[in-house]
Amino acid sequence: MSPSLEELGQEYSTALRDYCTDGGEAALLRAYQLGRRAVGDGLGVLEVAALHHEALLAALVEIVALDEGARIAKRASEFFGECLAPFELTRRGFQEAHAAVCDLNQGLQQRLRAALDDFESARGELLEQKRLETLKNEFISVISHEVRTPLTSIHGALNLLKSGLGGELDAQGQRLLDVSYRNSQRLVRFVNDLLDLQRIESGTMTFNLRSVDLQSLLEQSIEASQAHASQLGIRLLLEGVPPRARVRVDADRMMQVMTNLLSNAAKFSPRGEAVAVEASRHGSRLRVGVTDRGPGVPPQFRGHIFEKFAQAQPSRERGGSGLGLSITKAIVENMGGHVGFDSVRGRTTFYFDLPEWRPRSGEGPEETWAAEP
Amino acid sequence: MEDDPDIQTVTSMALGSLGGYTVRVCASAAEAIEAAPAFAPDLILLDVMMPGVDGLQTLKALREMPGTAATPVIFLTARVQPADVAQYRELDSLAVIRKPFEPTALVDTIHAIWSRHIAQAD
Repeated sequence: MSPSLEELGQEYSTALRDYCTDGGEAALLRAYQLGRRAVGDGLGVLEVAALHHEALLAALVEIVALDEGARIAKRASEFFGECLAPFELTRRGFQEAHAAVCDLNQGLQQRLRAALDDFESARGELLEQKRLETLKNEFISVISHEVRTPLTSIHGALNLLKSGLGGELDAQGQRLLDVSYRNSQRLVRFVNDLLDLQRIESGTMTFNLRSVDLQSLLEQSIEASQAHASQLGIRLLLEGVPPRARVRVDADRMMQVMTNLLSNAAKFSPRGEAVAVEASRHGSRLRVGVTDRGPGVPPQFRGHIFEKFAQAQPSRERGGSGLGLSITKAIVENMGGHVGFDSVRGRTTFYFDLPEWRPRSGEGPEETWAAEP
Repeated sequence: MEDDPDIQTVTSMALGSLGGYTVRVCASAAEAIEAAPAFAPDLILLDVMMPGVDGLQTLKALREMPGTAATPVIFLTARVQPADVAQYRELDSLAVIRKPFEPTALVDTIHAIWSRHIAQAD
């Protein structure tokens, strides 16, 4: 028996004898205090019962009067019950604590389950997105190869015929050749646009940024689109560029943007009209606008004109993939600019803004640009 | 080297009749490897996607042959995903030309690439 248990046993014995002999609240209080100590010392009910058993035996030996036996047994029971009261309290406390912990647990489990459900559905969505993305990339890959290969022969053969290889055609033959060639070009543009779109969406389109003289860039873009515009009976005019205006852009991508805007403007212009290109300064930004005399953008179409595959009149013989403006927007935004348009019947301007590039003092122009061969 | 007979026709006609180059068309890697020593090309155009041995493997084989160890190579390809093009650029090639191309422009492009190559070699 440990010293504390022995000590407790002696005290218990004395107090029980006192209570059995004299009764009284003070002795019962003593029982309760002993019970608290037992709880505090980490004793179990069985150990206290063993103490009680020994103490009761001792008490019965000391209190000789046997006729007192029934009274002693009753008092001893009261004493023992009082001593066990702290255990009872502890049990209730434990039950309460247990109930509280159960509640907490249940709440946590519910939250955990909800979080798991959220996670599962997010994961499902992500997997589905990935699956669709893979499917789309595979599709574009197949298009890329399966369309490009026959198109190389068709477009190549038409291109050689147009170059005069194979001799002169009569007027009708020439017209038929022009129709085939033009539509073949349209297909080539489409597969290239599709590829650009994929590059933009996957973030793999690269931009080789250089400081470029805006005037010469616009002149070159007009020169590059003039032949196509002339076929539609449209003149392309450069109306004005602020002096010494420079932008920091990928020049080839800028040419692509201008080709898109000029080709759209020419397509929608009445024959014999001119398409005007004009640049202007707005604070620290430069704006380039391409204005045509066409019918304007239909009101119901204005909100989503820069979305991919958006075309006001898809069936109309305008040509184009419906990707040009969405590619234009993405390219301009990638170079720190933004696109927009103003449109009324007979006058539509598509424009883009770019930050003006200014060399720091003492720094010359970064590099001048010449078109790639 | 090009396995598609129609693209062979168009390309060889453009390079031969318009460009004035002497062209030897090969339909497979085996044919290219067999023909290379006798033909001794100044420039090799390789299609990338080929049944069996592809253009990239063909280039490796040609590089191990004495006659074509250093002959300039241009890839012609319908596989133009950015990752593919980056891979072809890393290989020992002068340029990657994507299909479809305009044969008339191909003649000019090859002429320009060739001139640049000659100028750098001097």
